[in-house]
Amino acid sequence: MSGSPGTPCLQLERVSRHFGGLKAVDDVTLTVEPGARHAVIGPNGAGKTTLFNIISGEFPPSSGAITLDGRNVTKLKPHQRAALGVARTFQITRLFPELSVIDNVLLACAALDRRKFTMFRPLSSHGDFMERAGRLLDQFELSNVRDERARHISYGAQRRLDVALALAGHPRLLLLDEPMAGLSTPERVAMRGLLEQLDPSIAVLLIEHDMDVAFSFAARVTVLHQGKVLADGSRDEVSANELVQQAYLGGSVNS
Amino acid sequence: MNAVRALLLVVAVAATFISAQTNDTRPPIKIGFMVPLSGGNAQNGRDILNGFLMYLDEIGYRAGGRQIELIVEDDEAIPAVGLTKARKLVERDEVHVMAGALLSSTGYALAPYITSMKIPMVYPVVSADDLTQRRRSEWIVRTGWSGSQPNHAFGEYAYQKLGIRSVVTIALDYAFGWESVGGFERTFAAAGGRIRQKLWVPLSAHDFAPYLAQIPRDVDAVYALLLGRTALQFMRQYEEFGLKGRVTLIGGGTTTDEHVLPFMGDEAIGTVTALHYSAALDTPANKAFAATYRARFKKIPSYYSESMYTGGKWLIAAINAIDGRVEDRAALVEALRRVRPSDLPRGPMELDAYGNPIENVYIRRVERVNGELQNTVIDTFPRVSQFWTFDPDRYLSEPLYER
Amino acid sequence: MAEPRATAPDWRLVVAGLGAVFLLAAPPFLSAYWVGLLTQVVILGILAMSLDLLIGYTGLPSLGHAGFFGVAAYGVGILSTTYQAGVVASIAGGFIAGTGLAALLGLIVSHVRDVYFLMITMALGMVLWGLSFRWIPVTGGDNGIAGIPRLETLIGLPATGPIPFYYLALVVFAACIVLMMVLVKSPFGLTLQGIREHEPRMRSLGFNTWLHGYLSYVCAGAFASVAGIMWAYYNGFVSPTYLDLTASSELFLMVTLGGPATLVGPVIGAGAIVILKNVMSAYTARWLLILGIVYIVTILWAPQGLWNLGRHRRS
Repeated sequence: MSGSPGTPCLQLERVSRHFGGLKAVDDVTLTVEPGARHAVIGPNGAGKTTLFNIISGEFPPSSGAITLDGRNVTKLKPHQRAALGVARTFQITRLFPELSVIDNVLLACAALDRRKFTMFRPLSSHGDFMERAGRLLDQFELSNVRDERARHISYGAQRRLDVALALAGHPRLLLLDEPMAGLSTPERVAMRGLLEQLDPSIAVLLIEHDMDVAFSFAARVTVLHQGKVLADGSRDEVSANELVQQAYLGGSVNS
Repeated sequence: MNAVRALLLVVAVAATFISAQTNDTRPPIKIGFMVPLSGGNAQNGRDILNGFLMYLDEIGYRAGGRQIELIVEDDEAIPAVGLTKARKLVERDEVHVMAGALLSSTGYALAPYITSMKIPMVYPVVSADDLTQRRRSEWIVRTGWSGSQPNHAFGEYAYQKLGIRSVVTIALDYAFGWESVGGFERTFAAAGGRIRQKLWVPLSAHDFAPYLAQIPRDVDAVYALLLGRTALQFMRQYEEFGLKGRVTLIGGGTTTDEHVLPFMGDEAIGTVTALHYSAALDTPANKAFAATYRARFKKIPSYYSESMYTGGKWLIAAINAIDGRVEDRAALVEALRRVRPSDLPRGPMELDAYGNPIENVYIRRVERVNGELQNTVIDTFPRVSQFWTFDPDRYLSEPLYER
Repeated sequence: MAEPRATAPDWRLVVAGLGAVFLLAAPPFLSAYWVGLLTQVVILGILAMSLDLLIGYTGLPSLGHAGFFGVAAYGVGILSTTYQAGVVASIAGGFIAGTGLAALLGLIVSHVRDVYFLMITMALGMVLWGLSFRWIPVTGGDNGIAGIPRLETLIGLPATGPIPFYYLALVVFAACIVLMMVLVKSPFGLTLQGIREHEPRMRSLGFNTWLHGYLSYVCAGAFASVAGIMWAYYNGFVSPTYLDLTASSELFLMVTLGGPATLVGPVIGAGAIVILKNVMSAYTARWLLILGIVYIVTILWAPQGLWNLGRHRRS
């Protein structure tokens, strides 16, 4: 599955996406190395979430090519990309609200397993699923609400569950869309802790508004502005970039 | 406590008195009856029930020296529901004899059950040909008609008496329509007439324009076989299309039956149809029936109303013939096939060996008399059999009428 | 593993237990008529549960579900009368006809969701009805096909009649309810609920949700076929009313009245409607009105259906 050494985990080549006359993503070229910690920043409407949707396959790019581990996936559907190791969370939490927390995680565990088609044997009798789901719940501090319906747990727990779902399938590339959004200060601290403990072999692409978080978490930063890449490089290069200073960072670093 | 005892005593005495007075030593005869009483066919079902109630009232709910208990069920015009109701009547209420059903589909669905339970049953309306032909049951007696029966007579009449040579048919697209048109076509074509085109309309039809537009103006007559709402709509549009007065309108009896006739206007006048009954039939028996029916139910009797008046009369005659010993079901069904009550509203009738009536077929023309539309009888074919003039065995070896 | 939160025994357990005992033990003490009604309840119960797989679990509101039921019944009717086929061939033929049709139509309908799904299944259901009504040489049209032999005799039961047939239907019902209960607890069953809850998220987790939706449609069609086969043998005839829109919507009503995504609820819904229909109509021709009132009261007081009474409501 994984490409030869030196092959980037994800590569976007001149990817664009137009909605009518609006160029939401405009000629973006981007490389994410295996195990990278990579942040995408930019003001609202810069095209960050659209970029994520293109990477995860929610909709195809209008032009350009997407490569995962050296394989062209431009035409693949979301579930096919997930099978190749792409997982994501959502800016607005997407859970299975009427299912219990454990069932949410079990579903995610089964997603890339052939036994998801097993019809006449209860899921609870699949010990390895239960075990893995249990470990994820422990890791994301959700064990105490395991039998609650997802819609009844706290917002912070829902955000953690969202990340746990994404991780259940052992992804090689994790797309995190503002995981901190809307969290209280203690919850943010907890979430940061969780993110820092992620398996270093997973490449993480993070959309984040909070510059402190972005610059402390990611070694590499891409700045999007009106759909275009304004700057791309190490965090020091980017924070020193004049264009970025002017267009975006000026004064609002501590927003 | 004493008051309760006293009351019980009074009830007991009264009960003894009443039973002594009616002198009933045998339990009542239970008659199970079912027709659609809800849904689109409820009005026809109600007419059938009315006719039966009227006859039972006439005889004071007594026959063969026993009281009659009538148990009525709604079959909803759904065959599976009809079967469930039949099971209820037979297995729970333990009726001695059954009567009813309106639709052919219900009639066919009930037949195997009736046969397997050996319950005599009277079909007053169900007109599917095969019920008394290839798929007849010894336990079912039909006192109504078979769909093609009046049309055999009418096909010949149309050619010979009405001078019609070419016809377009327009009929409801189900077994009743096919059998009516089939019967008409057979004798009409045999006489030398020609069916130019057969138009079939779904039961749910609301607009006849697409069909009327297809009718060539040089055809001699249009034969229409419709019912209820479709008959009303068709009549109106036939006139609107300018066909009335230019192309003679003839049809099956239901098209101008009294269940729709009062709701029609002058557009219906002149339509000639054939059926085994007309409310305007000028006989003492029918005049008395129609007058009583009108007085009681405030409307003209339809052929449906007459069907179970006659059916009831037939059934009661059979019960009387065996002195009320309805527990002997074989004797009852044998009596049903044998009796020949007279003074029926529709005129003389007897049953053939297949359990279908041999009866008059009336050619009726819609006229306005005393301000009301009626089916004036203009000609009569006496003693028409379901096989017309054909040999029954040969007739039965041929296929059923289809589209 | 942590135990589920301790709760007092749910009233549902008590009702289900009593219901099971009743279905098992009561018929010998009931009249043939009531045994017949109970037979209808268990057969239509299978059908209602099969629709619940679609409505309640996958979240696909089908208004043409009686189609598979009817086609399987026609399969039995045509094979066992016109072709004089044996009982095994008739049952297999009915099952294959209903399930195969679901597999075929599923290819068309499982691309759409929600109200579009409702409309397209309704349209296909009406096409099937039209076929049963119009394809006269095969289906007998409006008159249907009568004279299907008795199943108890065919499979060599020592006794025939309402009670042996009832227990036969009950065995089939028990097998179906167990299979469906395992199905909804299986990994596949959970994926269906995932589709109902959030289909795009399912896709991004790696599920081909089209395939899962399609398979659930086929499964529901298969169980509906089982019910159709039993119905054909129960009535001894088949007719177009088995698969008309009224049948499909009454079925829809059974599921929503009883409580979707519960399996047991739709059986209760089937029971309520069969009993109400037959008991009420003995007293009044206005029983449809009463059914309507029952339905409205349920919507107001138990919008999630009878079997979900007292449970958390969905927003």
